[in-house]
Amino acid sequence: MSDEGISHTRILALGVVGGLIGIYLTPYNPILGPLLASLGAVCAIVWGADAIRSLASYGLGTGVPSIGYMSLAIGIIGVVAGLAAGVYIGMPILGPIIGFILAMILGGIVAFLGRRVIGMKIPILLSGTVQLAGASALSVLGFSAALAGNYTMAPILASVISTGFIALLFIMNTMAIQHPFNACLGPNEDQVRTLKLAATTAFMSMAIIGVIGVGFTKAWWIIAIIGAIGWFISMRAFLDAALDSAASVKWSGLWPKEDEQ
Amino acid sequence: MMDPLLLIGAITVGGVLIGGGVHFIPVGGAPAAIATATGVGTGTAMLAAGGGMTGLITAAALTGQPLWLILAGGAVGSSIMLGITMLVGNLVYVWGVGCVPASAKIEYDPITKYEQSKFVTPGTEGHGIPTVCFVSGIIGGALGGIGGGLIYWGLYQQLSVLPGYQASISAVSGVSIGAATVAAIFAVGIFFVNAVIASYNIGGTIEGFHDPKFKRLPRGALACIVASFATGLIAILLLNGGVF
Repeated sequence: MSDEGISHTRILALGVVGGLIGIYLTPYNPILGPLLASLGAVCAIVWGADAIRSLASYGLGTGVPSIGYMSLAIGIIGVVAGLAAGVYIGMPILGPIIGFILAMILGGIVAFLGRRVIGMKIPILLSGTVQLAGASALSVLGFSAALAGNYTMAPILASVISTGFIALLFIMNTMAIQHPFNACLGPNEDQVRTLKLAATTAFMSMAIIGVIGVGFTKAWWIIAIIGAIGWFISMRAFLDAALDSAASVKWSGLWPKEDEQ
Repeated sequence: MMDPLLLIGAITVGGVLIGGGVHFIPVGGAPAAIATATGVGTGTAMLAAGGGMTGLITAAALTGQPLWLILAGGAVGSSIMLGITMLVGNLVYVWGVGCVPASAKIEYDPITKYEQSKFVTPGTEGHGIPTVCFVSGIIGGALGGIGGGLIYWGLYQQLSVLPGYQASISAVSGVSIGAATVAAIFAVGIFFVNAVIASYNIGGTIEGFHDPKFKRLPRGALACIVASFATGLIAILLLNGGVF
């Protein structure tokens, strides 16, 4: 694994700030709001992919997808409970923040158990799992808000949970977050290239959200189009990066020296 | 104030059943995918997704029935799903790859008493799904299905009476769609959390109850108890936030 091209703190800031701003701006405009919410989810997915990259490069013993599924499960538990908590305390505007925090707390508990009870020897298990849980929660919230047109419990229950789209979000966001590192890991893995693939999977998910949102939000076409354009651009960037990295191997026919990790 | 405690109890017990059940399932991982280890050739998360979601669907199909029927529905659904996965996996190993189902962890299969070591290809850790692994997997599926069904039942029972969820009661079946879907996605979430914690505990692969790694079960169960209890506490927010 090569050195970081982009600092983790900056990606973390992008995920948290971008995700939360996108979600909180949702109700103010029927077209731009859902678009910003889905772009917020894209930021959160890129953050999650970076977090899973740091965490899974230690070797979990169970494969990269398992921690992706677990973090999305934690994220959804946190989001649903957080939205309900917003109703409970009478301030629905706090729902997304509470959901985000609850997911990170639950992620922290699971990581603590992994370290102390099960005895996993991964130094960044706690910070990595907390970040992943937070990113998962924001990605689910962002896409849910895009479909529902608001970030409160009742519209999300009606158009995302009762319709079963929440199960789609579960699997789709898991794939978007865990696939980039799962596909790129190994010798010559490069952070920037992995993140380009993360942008690809995130924009692809956004395009899908646009298409399935056809009956729920007026902004479905713009979400689908912007998502597809982002998908195209990031896929091209990823392919270029992959061909660049492969060039030396292709020309010389020899594996690079730094293969042995 | 009995109800919230009942919910926390159902989620904790359900979570432990799921986490314990995963220890029984023959998870082979990548080595099994190339037939150099015993078990189904995929990771715990995939097997939990298949078995767990099928169990939840069969449990949810019995919404409104007595508790034992819901639990039995979950157990049967999960077990059938895992049973079919293992059976078809075995067909591929036997007639596709061309190897004999055999375990390298034991000398004799405790159920059929067949000798194992003769049939293990040198350099591998067994292949296919021998009888003992198959039986263990069915038990694991049943435990996981009961756990998932219990969590679903606990959540649905308490959510469906709340005003916020009564609006979505279906006139045909009398089932609150909102409560059923929230309970189902919450149960799926708890299923995955416990399945992956158990998977960390077994280090990715296990053959079943005869595997030496099975001795780590108490440790995994303890981790699942704590994690599920914390999730149960979070689930209380759902009950309090059900008025909208």
